[in-house]
This record gives sequence, C-alpha cells and structure tokens, in this order.
Amino acid sequence: MNDWQKKSPLDWETYVNKLVKVIAVEKLQYEGWVLTVDPVSASIVLATFPENEKASISFIMGHAVQEVEILQEGDSHMKQRLARIFAPEESQAYSSEELDKRKNALKTWLETNHIPVAEQGELGTTLCVAGVLTIDPPYGPEQCSSSNEIILSRVQGLLQGYLEKQH
Amino acid sequence: MTDPLPVPVPILRLPRGPDISGGRGFSRDSRRNSQHFPELQAARAALRERFLRLLSSARGRPARFWLWSGIAVDAEFGAADAEPVAFQVDSLRTPLGVQGAALLRCGDVLAFSIPLE
Repeated sequence: MNDWQKKSPLDWETYVNKLVKVIAVEKLQYEGWVLTVDPVSASIVLATFPENEKASISFIMGHAVQEVEILQEGDSHMKQRLARIFAPEESQAYSSEELDKRKNALKTWLETNHIPVAEQGELGTTLCVAGVLTIDPPYGPEQCSSSNEIILSRVQGLLQGYLEKQH
Repeated sequence: MTDPLPVPVPILRLPRGPDISGGRGFSRDSRRNSQHFPELQAARAALRERFLRLLSSARGRPARFWLWSGIAVDAEFGAADAEPVAFQVDSLRTPLGVQGAALLRCGDVLAFSIPLE
C-alpha cells in the first residue's frame, strides 16, 4: 500500500472540491477538480474542464497514485458546477409542501402497518425506521439507507409496493 | 494391543477481543473499525456514495483506459465490481482487433477517463 492509500477518509475529504495535481506511476500527471476519493480503493475522481475541449471525468486508481498536490481551493461557483455533475438528469423538483405531504403520508402508512417510525434531523425531514434505517426526502426506495442490508431490502420492497399502490 | 485411535477434538475459533499481546482480534484503532467514530463513518459514506454515483454515470459511455507501459485502450464502460477488482467493458479496441466484451483487471489499469456530455 502506498502513502495515499493509507490515508483516512477524513484526510481524503479535505481534497474534495479542490484543484489538484496528481502524479501517478510511470510519470503520468493529471490536473483537475476532486469530485471524490473512493474510501475502499483510494481512487481519485477528477473533473476537468479544458477550454477548447469537452469536459471529462478521470478516475485514477488508488494503487497508481504517488503524489497529490493541492493547487487551488474551490469557490462557491466551482462547487456548484461540481455538484451539478452528481444531480440526476431527470430529477424532479419537489416543493417543501409536497415533501411534507409525502413524508406525512408515508409516516402514517408505516404507523398503520405497525412499523415504528420517528422523525429525525434538525428539521425533522428524515424518517427513522426502528432506529436502524433512515429515509431522506423525497422518501423513495432509493433514499433508504441502513447498515443492515436485510432490513434495507425489506423496507425498500415495502416502500416500492406502497408507491405502486398510490399510482 | 494397540492404543485406540485418539478422538478428534472439535476446534472452535472465535474472534478475540483487543488485547496487549497483539492478538488477531478486532483492533479498536483499526481504520476499518469506524463504528466508534461517527464523523469518520460519515466521511467514508459520503465519499463512497459520490464514487458509486460517478461510476454508475459512467455506464455506457466511451472510456479511455491507461494501462502499464504507456498503453491506452478505448472501450465502452460497462460496470465495476465493489472493490473494484475488475471493470467490465464493451467493444474494447485492442491492437489485435475489437473485443465484444471484456474484463479489465484493476491492477492493470492506472487510470481511465470518460467524457462529461
């Protein structure tokens, strides 16, 4: 393992949204804005916006990384530009009233089915099921997260069925 | 008269807890033992989620892979496994012709890039 792979996720997180120069094995060099660092393989993902060419994303494998140097901090404009890369293409915008309605409908449905559910987070926008699974807005199967994959797939299945019945 | 055959004793292996003898139990300050550090776990999860979203957005896009000894090959990106250990690609253009479907070992790949529409 090289030094880069031994770093902690907290170290890697400090590189996100910054312009870096990556020196890899065999004198390969990459320059771009850090989108993320995979905590499993330590691979760096860079976005580059060359002036006369199309923008591209480069994945540099963790095992090939030798040196990473920060060249520039990202301003709010660049952070927004990078965040857009993550936005799903056909994302639907929900108003806060709609989200509230969706949340309450789901909460009621879960409660009538005797599934323990609570609101959590500062604004109470996240639903917490049985203390082990969270559902974030807009409350679909894709927004479920849990470290218990059995519970995760069960609840995702329930949610799928609930949403299909509604339409 | 010969001795009876010794009865085999079952061996039960349990993970040992952390101790000072350097046992092979789960170390409290292991990098992977992040349950005790919620902020570490949150950072791991956020970085990983972004990585997986980027990987899935790469699906079906033309990619260029840089391999060892300065070799670059073009292919259509298909998928990666969880580690990742290998990448699945379609229509891999090799010097010997086009391969319909192929797996590239991650250890052989140094980097790859995909265009961002």
